[in-house]
Amino acid sequence: MTNSPAARAARLLLALVPLTLLATPAPAQESAPARPAWSPEVVELAESLPVQDGGRIKPLRTQASFTLLRLSGRRSVRLPSGERLSATEWLLDVLLYPELADTYPVFLVQNAEVVEAIAVSREGKKVRDRYSFEELRPRIDRLFQLAGEYHRIEEKDRTTVQQQVFLLAMRVQEYLGLSGHLEFARESFPVRPGGEISAALDGADVATPSLILEHLGPLLVLRDRLSAEAGDGAEMQALSEMLVRTSESLSRSENLALLPPAVDEPPRADWHSPVDVFVNALQGSGADAEAIEDLAGFERLAANRDDPAAFESSLRDLHGRLVGRAEARGEYEKVDLELLYYRSKILNYSHYGFVLAFFLTAFLWLRPRSKVLYGGTSLTVLVSTVLLIGTITLRCMIRGRPPVSTLYETVLFVTAVAALIAMFTEAVNRRRIAISVAALVGVIGLFIANGYEMLDKKDTMPSLVAVLDTNFWLATHVTAITTGYSAGMLAAVLASVYLVTKAFGVRRSDPTFHHSLGRMVYGVLCFALIFSTVGTILGGIWANDSWGRFWGWDPKENGALLIVLSQLVILHARMGGYLREHGLCMATAFGGTVIAFSWWGVNLLGVGLHSYGFTSGIHDALWTYYGLQWAVVGLGAYTWLRERGRARDGRTDRSRSVNATGERPEALPGQGSHA
Amino acid sequence: MKTLLERFVRLFSSFGLSCVLLILLALLTWLGTLEQVNTGLFEVQKKYFESFFLVHQAGPLSIPLPGANLVMCVLALNLLVGGILRMRRGAATAGVLVVHLGISLLLVSGFVKTYFSNEGHLTLFEGQRSNSYQSYYRWEISIARPLGGGNVHELLVPQEDFVDATGARPVTLVSDELPFDLEIRHYMRNCRVMPKGPMFEVTVPVVDGFFLQADALAKEAEHNVAGAYATAVLPDGTRTEGILWGLDDAPWTVSVDGADWTVDLRHEQYPMPFSVELDVFTKENHPRTNMPSKFSSDVTVLEGGSSRPVKIQMNEPLRDQGLVLYQASWGPSNARPGDPLFSTLSVVRNPADQFPLYACIVIAFGMVMHFSRRLFRYMRAEARR
Repeated sequence: MTNSPAARAARLLLALVPLTLLATPAPAQESAPARPAWSPEVVELAESLPVQDGGRIKPLRTQASFTLLRLSGRRSVRLPSGERLSATEWLLDVLLYPELADTYPVFLVQNAEVVEAIAVSREGKKVRDRYSFEELRPRIDRLFQLAGEYHRIEEKDRTTVQQQVFLLAMRVQEYLGLSGHLEFARESFPVRPGGEISAALDGADVATPSLILEHLGPLLVLRDRLSAEAGDGAEMQALSEMLVRTSESLSRSENLALLPPAVDEPPRADWHSPVDVFVNALQGSGADAEAIEDLAGFERLAANRDDPAAFESSLRDLHGRLVGRAEARGEYEKVDLELLYYRSKILNYSHYGFVLAFFLTAFLWLRPRSKVLYGGTSLTVLVSTVLLIGTITLRCMIRGRPPVSTLYETVLFVTAVAALIAMFTEAVNRRRIAISVAALVGVIGLFIANGYEMLDKKDTMPSLVAVLDTNFWLATHVTAITTGYSAGMLAAVLASVYLVTKAFGVRRSDPTFHHSLGRMVYGVLCFALIFSTVGTILGGIWANDSWGRFWGWDPKENGALLIVLSQLVILHARMGGYLREHGLCMATAFGGTVIAFSWWGVNLLGVGLHSYGFTSGIHDALWTYYGLQWAVVGLGAYTWLRERGRARDGRTDRSRSVNATGERPEALPGQGSHA
Repeated sequence: MKTLLERFVRLFSSFGLSCVLLILLALLTWLGTLEQVNTGLFEVQKKYFESFFLVHQAGPLSIPLPGANLVMCVLALNLLVGGILRMRRGAATAGVLVVHLGISLLLVSGFVKTYFSNEGHLTLFEGQRSNSYQSYYRWEISIARPLGGGNVHELLVPQEDFVDATGARPVTLVSDELPFDLEIRHYMRNCRVMPKGPMFEVTVPVVDGFFLQADALAKEAEHNVAGAYATAVLPDGTRTEGILWGLDDAPWTVSVDGADWTVDLRHEQYPMPFSVELDVFTKENHPRTNMPSKFSSDVTVLEGGSSRPVKIQMNEPLRDQGLVLYQASWGPSNARPGDPLFSTLSVVRNPADQFPLYACIVIAFGMVMHFSRRLFRYMRAEARR
């Protein structure tokens, strides 16, 4: 059996199915209860709670956002009433009003066959639609049964429907993990005054799980004694029920590790979920008073959920406890920064800026002499690029890493560097071409970044595997190779602009237009070659330090080599006179697909040592790009043949006059030989 | 009339040849990358990248191609003749010349690595010590006789001497130091030892009720386990049959004149000029995940009477006396908390270990030199416009 994350999740899923079915709450009432609206203060407090997930500490907002993205394909929930909930508000409902959240349509089903496979009613639904847990609940046993069957099929052999059924089951499992998380906080057990249980609880007349954990030792002793004596049957029954229900409800609170360990615990220690507190208490390491007080804080939240003022006060207290401890451990400073990153929506504004610049570009091309439009476009591109660089910088600060350590970050970096190179080129030649391309790559790059995030549906700031835990090589090799990708892709875009505009006769009246564009392509290609070559060799040196060999013909290494070789071929062919301006642009445009293959394509092969970069769901997008780029190259070939035909005709006409003037066609120096 | 030499020099200094060779190398790289989906890296490497010729199977089509070894040899010649010796000298080409020199250094490092290096691994549990490492892929036959006092008289047979042994054409190993000849037959690159049952027949010999069953080559070449049939032919003509198998717990023993000789098929072993003892192996996961965040081996390096502690971890190998030891893996993979773990250190002897770094610096310098000159010229031209 493989040990991929999906397989592990699947095993967990299968292991939990019986528990899930057992623990699934009873069907909700006909009309779900209303709840007071969450105030902005409450949302702000909730989203800034720290949580340990995926090996790092992050704000609860991040966790809520990516969880909702996985379930729903969106970062917010639109209710049938028209109300829109943010991810944090949705999570608050799931935790505190699960009976209400069960009615929210959050489970995205891509294909109607999936719900038909589990016989859920599609009445009033579209082919691709969202379902609530309430709608899935009647057939949930069938869903898990099918998921179990499909899990036995290799992922690559599953049909689309089988895979989607499997994924839906995993999403439902994930949801159940959250909706049951605070079930323990809603539990309370009346205690007979004057009884032995009351005595073991220091005279309390109501027992909550936190109180039970606090007095777990005396309660277990009491249980053993009552069991041995076969004395008061009612007391024994009440105690057993109390312990069993506490255990059951706490066992569902595994998914959110919101409780920082004690301040004196070592750094990077595991944070706790409520069930961990229970397990620790049971294992005899003793009930951690601080953690038990944390659980009591959650119980107060649940108890005050219908009283906004009291709820906010309880949340503020709990927030103060948890954040204070995290701060004392030095584990909170990045949480604030990450909140700033997401709240500021800096990346969105950068994207909007590039889109605006792209529209301004369109007007600029209609009025190329307008200084206002030129200045406005340039400024918009500049501001958008600065925002993008700000995004990358913030991410570096949050992660404590160089700019690129994940596939997602390569997209941001490639876009930023491409925009910078294009702006530099524009500053040098001021022909309105490079600035237009900067806007174009900004729009496309950030569209890809967003699309990738939506497809991958995972935290974009994950922990890194051991081999990547080196800021030196991330800062040198990865940055260099990604800069090479960036310049190569920019060259391919510029070359594509050259080929398309030439094919459609754009700026035919300006003979310098395409020549200038051709020189830009050449210049950017040279820049790309420097970084691709140095980056590739640095990668080999890193591999030599990590794995003991400079070159291992691993697919990712080969991809990098392919980029270098393709660029070397183009430049040598140009030097040799085999490629001129038009040919150079055709070859460079084709080179874009070589870069795409290296950047994304080899990850789809599913082999090699660079498995930390693997992703799924990009196959179609990649082949769409290949197709478009090859079509552009084909268009270039058609234009070349057309011009060649015209030139041949022209030459036939001209030959008489050439003979008369004695002029010869221009030849490149050194053509055909290094010497 | 051009002489043959002139034609040769012209051909080997041409941009046309450079382009063809670079395209061929790119094609081989691409095909070899795609082939890895179906075939293991080791086999792909042998077929596409360490060969002089190959036949690529594209569906029903068999396409003959030059191997990367051949392409790179010709490319090196092309680089030397056209890119260094006959290149036009001057400020305009100085950077390119430097780049070509850097690439030459890179090619030299590849050559040295291919022909003068070896690699293997050293696997130790905590407290264990070793002064040798063994190959991942190469096999050897060790024929040894104990001399007493912990010493042995050992003869080593490299794999080149027996890998071609078949049932029809056995290989006979003869040595003046051996009191018997050793015939090797049916060498198999990946096989297992199986008991011969009454309900089936086999086409290979059966020795003491066991036979070697050939298996398909493993995708990961280090998982292949070699095996062969061996026959000791004593001076009096007596023949003793045995099975050699890479995973045997104990070697096959041949007794001659009261002396016991052990014959063992094992991974090739290389001595180290020092011993390494594993003190502590540490494996850490990211909190609340199964994702490893760190592996490290705290070892003691012992040489002569001295010893020193060293920590070997990902990206921080130990370099000593031409050997480099890397943190490669650990196990057992199914170990539970508290179980003893072993650490596997990759060991490489490569005289050109640091050449790529020097080449990278030279190439980067040359490229910056060349392209910055062109950039400034372009900027000047644009400024004039």
